[in-house]
Amino acid sequence: MIELTINDKTIQTTEDSTILKAALGADIYIPNLCYDRRLRPFGACRLCVVEVEGENKLLAACSTPVKQGMVVHTETPKVIKARKTVLELLLIHHPLDCPICDKAGECELQDLVFKYGASTNRFKGERRHEPERLDAPIVEYNPNRCVLCGRCIRICLEHQGVGAISFIDKGIKTRISPAFYEPLDCEFCGQCIDTCPVGALGSKPYRHASRTWYMEDHPIICPFCGCGCTTNLSIREGRIVRARGKEGVGINNGDLCSKGRFGFDYIVSENRLKTPLIRKDGQLRPVSWSEAIQTVAKRLTEIGDKYGAFSIGAIGSQRCTLEDNFMFQRLMREVVRTDNIDSAARFGYAKAQTAFEWAFGLESLPIRWDAPLKADYILVVESDITSTMPVWGLNFILAKYYGSQLVVADSRETKLARNSTNYLKIRPSSGLALLGGMAHVIYHEGLYNKEAASEVHNFDALIASLNEFTPAKTSLLTGLTEEQIREAARSYASAKSRLIAITSGYAENTKSLYTFLAAANLVLLMGDRPETLQVPAEFCNTLGMWDITIRPLVNGKDCYDMLYTQDTPRAMYIMGENPLVTFPDISTVERALKKVEFLVVQDIYLTDTAKLAHVVLPASSWAEKEGTFKSATGDLQRINKLLPAPEGTRPDWEIIRDIAEAMGGNLKVRDLSDVRLQMEEYFRDVLGKHIRTRLAFNPIRYELMDHTDSEYPLYLVTETVLQHSGSLSVLSKNLDSVVPEPYIQINLADAERLGVKHDYFVKVSSRKGSVFLKAIVTDEVEEGTVFAHTHFSYGKVNILTYPSVVSMLPLVPVKIEPA
Amino acid sequence: MENYRANIMLCGGTGCTAGGSLKIREAMQQGIRDKGLEGEINIQLTTCSGFCPQGPIMIVYPDNVLYQKVSLKDVPLIIEEHLIKGRPVERLLYKEPAKKQGIPGIKDIPFFNRQVLRALRNKGLIDPDSIDEYIARDGYQAAAKALLEMTPEEIIKVVKDSGLRGRGGAGMLTGLKWERAASVKAPEKFIICNRSIIEVEPHLIIEGMIIGARAIGASQGYIYVRTGAPIIIERLNRALQQAREYGLIGENILDSGFDFELELFASSDEFVCGEETALLMSIQSMRGMPMPRPPFPVEKGLWDMPTVINTVETFANIPQIILNGAEWFRSVGTEKSPGTKIFNLSGALNNTGLIEVPMGITLRSIINDIGGGLIKGRTFKAVQVGGSTGGYIPEQYLDMPVTYEDVTQMDAIIGSGGIAVLSDLNCMVSSARFTIEFAVDESCGKCPPCRIGTSVILDLLNKVVNGTATEEDIYLMEDLALDIKNTSLCGLGQTAMNPVLSTIRFFKDEYLEHINEKWCKAGVCKELCTFYIDKEKCIGCGACARVCPKKAISGEKKKPHHIDQSLCIQCRSCYETCKFNALKIGPRSMREELTDNEAAAYIKGAIKEVVQQ
Repeated sequence: MIELTINDKTIQTTEDSTILKAALGADIYIPNLCYDRRLRPFGACRLCVVEVEGENKLLAACSTPVKQGMVVHTETPKVIKARKTVLELLLIHHPLDCPICDKAGECELQDLVFKYGASTNRFKGERRHEPERLDAPIVEYNPNRCVLCGRCIRICLEHQGVGAISFIDKGIKTRISPAFYEPLDCEFCGQCIDTCPVGALGSKPYRHASRTWYMEDHPIICPFCGCGCTTNLSIREGRIVRARGKEGVGINNGDLCSKGRFGFDYIVSENRLKTPLIRKDGQLRPVSWSEAIQTVAKRLTEIGDKYGAFSIGAIGSQRCTLEDNFMFQRLMREVVRTDNIDSAARFGYAKAQTAFEWAFGLESLPIRWDAPLKADYILVVESDITSTMPVWGLNFILAKYYGSQLVVADSRETKLARNSTNYLKIRPSSGLALLGGMAHVIYHEGLYNKEAASEVHNFDALIASLNEFTPAKTSLLTGLTEEQIREAARSYASAKSRLIAITSGYAENTKSLYTFLAAANLVLLMGDRPETLQVPAEFCNTLGMWDITIRPLVNGKDCYDMLYTQDTPRAMYIMGENPLVTFPDISTVERALKKVEFLVVQDIYLTDTAKLAHVVLPASSWAEKEGTFKSATGDLQRINKLLPAPEGTRPDWEIIRDIAEAMGGNLKVRDLSDVRLQMEEYFRDVLGKHIRTRLAFNPIRYELMDHTDSEYPLYLVTETVLQHSGSLSVLSKNLDSVVPEPYIQINLADAERLGVKHDYFVKVSSRKGSVFLKAIVTDEVEEGTVFAHTHFSYGKVNILTYPSVVSMLPLVPVKIEPA
Repeated sequence: MENYRANIMLCGGTGCTAGGSLKIREAMQQGIRDKGLEGEINIQLTTCSGFCPQGPIMIVYPDNVLYQKVSLKDVPLIIEEHLIKGRPVERLLYKEPAKKQGIPGIKDIPFFNRQVLRALRNKGLIDPDSIDEYIARDGYQAAAKALLEMTPEEIIKVVKDSGLRGRGGAGMLTGLKWERAASVKAPEKFIICNRSIIEVEPHLIIEGMIIGARAIGASQGYIYVRTGAPIIIERLNRALQQAREYGLIGENILDSGFDFELELFASSDEFVCGEETALLMSIQSMRGMPMPRPPFPVEKGLWDMPTVINTVETFANIPQIILNGAEWFRSVGTEKSPGTKIFNLSGALNNTGLIEVPMGITLRSIINDIGGGLIKGRTFKAVQVGGSTGGYIPEQYLDMPVTYEDVTQMDAIIGSGGIAVLSDLNCMVSSARFTIEFAVDESCGKCPPCRIGTSVILDLLNKVVNGTATEEDIYLMEDLALDIKNTSLCGLGQTAMNPVLSTIRFFKDEYLEHINEKWCKAGVCKELCTFYIDKEKCIGCGACARVCPKKAISGEKKKPHHIDQSLCIQCRSCYETCKFNALKIGPRSMREELTDNEAAAYIKGAIKEVVQQ
């Protein structure tokens, strides 16, 4: 710690601090424009110049390191004059746009000039009047207002790891632009917009939408991924006008991704359901709430009485609140008396959970937000973390900046791969093999923690199974050289602190339970703590939903049993989930759902699944009701009712309460506080009940469900893109403006061989069926592999896919022909 | 080894090459072959002789005769007269101003014999493309000594003791810089040579860098060439190739166990990339814009590793310091600025070119003794010290010793080593304006003071030059220039204000003349001058009329001539031609007056005619 004096105030600060940081930390404001606490000092704006005793020049506070005993003056006549001049210069060409500029009222330049600037300008100059750049989605740029502070450029390059924009031209003609004045093509995360101090960068959805003083800001938890970021919604007269990150608020501390910033408009989609619907004469017709509730209660009771409670099944929601899911499983377990309740997490997070239990004996292993920053060696296996957990992913980039090794093993070039210290290009779904191969080397070269490993069960079984993962065999499976595998293992073992990060999305078909077990094996081999394996729960409430037991507890049927076997339930209640679009092998799902005698779907819009239902119940969505999410870090965070719920919709938990009552059950719940009290009790009783305290190795196998052959020569990998989340985000016009349609990515060489042209349609077929998709020819994918995302219902990509059985890898062999 | 009876050294510096020295060499070789003298006479190209405006330069050894402004048609004459008959060609000899006699011997020419050659000791003596000739002149001896007989600490000590200051402009003690870099612990270190013009032979730079790399522990070096001149890049690449072949770059140099890789980095011609952090950005494939310091490059430079950046001249001094010691280095120069400095002498002097003189020499001595004084007919006005962004120093300060510390007192800098003499034919305001225009063009655009401020100052200077300024504008300019100097991020913005500040400080009367009297007495600012002929002095020789591009001057032979103001474009050719002091420069207002007067006289004359009729 060092002591210095600023404006006669003695301050203590750390040795590596700068004058500006020290001052701001002590509530002394030094004006600045190009400073952003997340970025390296840039020294461009020159507004932060201060006088330091013993120095004859003015020094920039943002980049001058503190020294013990330094004496700083920030308001001397020389400093004040310098600031005035700099502001004066900035204002010569800055257009007098305040009356029409969206930034008015929150503009840092306005504030600075008001406080430190001269009231007249001694210099005359022509105002800039170049045309605005409106040629890209989401982001607009007004070069005339730009003060060239460089924050947008640096946030994009240093913080986001992208670098889509930079300075172009020089001197007085300098502007911000992508290379060669091309239209902006980036993630559209909007970080640049939020950090712009003036009205130069703006968001098109927000353009001219409001003046700042008409809006009220409210924090809320984002409804998309498991990060659980806090976004600040600006609301004007009952409408969300924009969402921003706010420094110091939330686990994300002001950072947001495209979904968090721009996806909020999904709730005002025209497709929102406005009234309950009942199928009469083959058509879904609007009915009253009482009729709908009564019908559901009556039919469920009938079917329960006729076929037994075991013939009824339910699918809960990774996006609905804890209260909604809690009530849902109570309805099923206490009133309907069935244990057949599950969720889409069965295809994703459930595998990780199983691994946690089998390997570590843990009920739950939430991620730690700062885990990447504490690891010297980070291994990311076939996981596009910056697309599925974008803001958490920034910590990986930050860790690398601070000197950690970031090793990315993936079959596709992701942003983390581009920012890695070592990119291992492996064949799709061979991450499991790589982990096995690494364990093999670590064991046979004696690099493992013998003492710790000896306390773990099943050591011999593990070693036996590792015979399939010799460097030679692993090399064949992964496509890496033996030396690369050995090197990866050695550097993993010799690191001071380790981290393995794998995502567990239900749309990802490159992993199986064994992938997670293989990672856990490595953790246990090195004697590391279970937290060394970080697997984030996918959506905003996946972890919460799992904890509140939306899963069979006592031999109930899971999703696979209910939809992919002969055991289809007679009645099903699906809340907040869209199996007919997002589950694998939707032809089978469709057949199963059509067999269901009574299907209730509760959702916010008429999903493809809802179109098959007998009763459709319209639910309120995020920001329209009170609730709690449990993020992937295990944090319980509230969402509040910030807007009136659309006419005709009701919160999920309320609907369920009424159905329970109509069925004669007594859940002893009147309002939300009752729900919450009971939830607390339930958490206390349920969680922590089944703990197996022992650690165990688990033998692993590399098994593909299906192999390519001459007829189906390519492997299809399904994945999530950054700008979308399940099938929910496609309702957002903003996000659709960035990724508007389904597509399939195919390698240049493959495309040429097959006669596929970029941007043209192709027919994609697997043994399960065919679909038509637009082809994107790119070098981001390797020969022999194609990638498609599953977000759009009309893409029907899941016609092609296989349901992932627990232990086999559901990679899909496909063939591609020009359409 | 051939024993020639004569060695002809043709200057191969950039200037003389542009002047045709390569062709002259070919012609000489052909001519000598024709006469069957190839066994007796050797022709070769050498490093820059420094006498650039007088080029192409040829020196004949062992006679030590210097020929200037040699052209192709002189070749047969030289061969016939000098090489065969032994009679130096009088016409091509250097002549002192106002003297008819040519000075044949290079040792007798003051321009040369007043210089103290250390960095330029091989000037005009060796072929810049020959590593063997460089080695023959003690080349790479210092590198060998440093690698094989000295420790890095000893190298740093002798450089520190010598007091050598970085010759790039800021004048930081080189030994201190190296010491700092050596003390930082890092996996990799770099050493970089920064320059746009290479005045010395490439091997000298390479040798200096090897020694520096050894001292700080750098394994990789770059020679950063910020210009598009292919000749320089070719020369450097050839030299690097030769050094590599001789095992002087690469692994285990001279069996010392020291590895050092040295490469050329050629970038586009951006003035701002001379600033060291911008240079580092440029090498890292980023846009060449300066970054704030601290952190300083010696701590966190290229790829965040300790990096020493020095210029050509600094490295050029190192080998001699290693061989001859710190005391020898300090034997010339001053206490705080020891050693010699290369300057680029230019302007209205009789002798101009590249010179190397002891630090502490006065400006007056440089101008008179070496420069040979002002060209006939011109009077001294100011000397710009420091290159394009140096300050202007008036007559009363000419006895100022040229050292780092004295020069900064005068709002000037040592900078790139430019010393440009301005005469009565230069307008101070226009010169300042020219510098600011340069700064506006070269500004990188990062910080508002330089990006916007220089443009504002340019606008104001344009107003002065166009005659629309007020006195208020001078104070505005001075005030703004001070703020720009105080707040700019890098040396470009800071030093660009020197011309403005020093001209306002020392030549305010010129500004006031421009503004209040609308009069540019030097005749440079076209809007503010009128060229007219003093009828008392004009003898009607017609010389001015012959050079006038617009045929604006008319008059009968032996009668006073007259300039038609409506045709005159103020090019000043007539003024510079007149030997009788008859051409005068008046204020702008005279134009209208003269036109009116002439119109009046014409009408008077016409009326007279009519009346006479």
